[in-house]
Amino acid sequence: MQIYNDYKDRVDFLTIYIREAHPTDEWRMKSNEKDKDDVCYVQPKTLEQRIVIANDFTKRFKFPLPFGVDEMNDAANNAYAAWPERLYILDESGRISYKGGNGPFKYDPKEVRTWLAQRYGDVKHAETPQNGRLGSQLHKTRATLPLPASA
Amino acid sequence: MSRWLLWTTVSIGVLLVLGFAGLSLMAGSPKDAIGMVRFALPHMHVGTLKAGDTAPDVRLVALDGKTRFHLRERTSGRPLVLIFGSFT
Repeated sequence: MQIYNDYKDRVDFLTIYIREAHPTDEWRMKSNEKDKDDVCYVQPKTLEQRIVIANDFTKRFKFPLPFGVDEMNDAANNAYAAWPERLYILDESGRISYKGGNGPFKYDPKEVRTWLAQRYGDVKHAETPQNGRLGSQLHKTRATLPLPASA
Repeated sequence: MSRWLLWTTVSIGVLLVLGFAGLSLMAGSPKDAIGMVRFALPHMHVGTLKAGDTAPDVRLVALDGKTRFHLRERTSGRPLVLIFGSFT
C-alpha cells in the first residue's frame, strides 16, 4: 500500500474491518474462489468470527496498517455509512476533511493521495503501477481492504 | 381486459425485463444482480456525514479480540486516514 508508505510519517492510518461484502451465505462471488485466492467466509455472526477473518487478512498479506474491528452492532459501519468500503480523512481537530464515496465504484484512493499531496507534497516513484490506488490489487482477491504494495 | 390495461401491463413487463438485464450486465450475471438487490443495496448508504462535521467516535476491537479502543484515541494531532472494508 503505497500511500501508507509515502505518508505514514506525517499522517495516521486506521483500517476498520466491517461486515463482509461477499460472504458465501449472501452475495457470493466467483472471484472469491478462483485459483489460490479462495477467500470464502460466511457472514460472521459473532465478534470472534470477525476477529478470525480480520487476522486471516492481516497475516495473509502482512498488512502493516493499524487495525480495528467493528463490533457486532456495526457501530462504526453505521456511523460512517461505510459498507462495503469507504475512505475518510479526519483533520487534526477530529473533523471530517474528506469523505469518499461508497465502494466499489466510488472508492477512489487517488482522492486520498491528492488530499495528502496538497498538504504534504507529492511523492514521486520511478515505477507507479499502484500509485494513487490503494485498492489496485483488491479485485484480484475480492478483498475490499487495500493490500500492501508487496502483496 | 381493455387495450389500455394490456399495453400498460406489457410495458411494465418489458421495463422490468430490461431493468433486470441492465442490472445483470452491471453486476456480472443474473445471479449477481439478485445478490446485489438482496444483499448489497440494503447495506449501502450515502450517509449524512459531510466535510466539517465532527467525526463520530466509535468503539473498536483490536486484533487480539479483547482490547477495546476508541477511534478518537487515534486522532492525536495529525490527520487520520480511515479505511473501511472487509476481506471478501
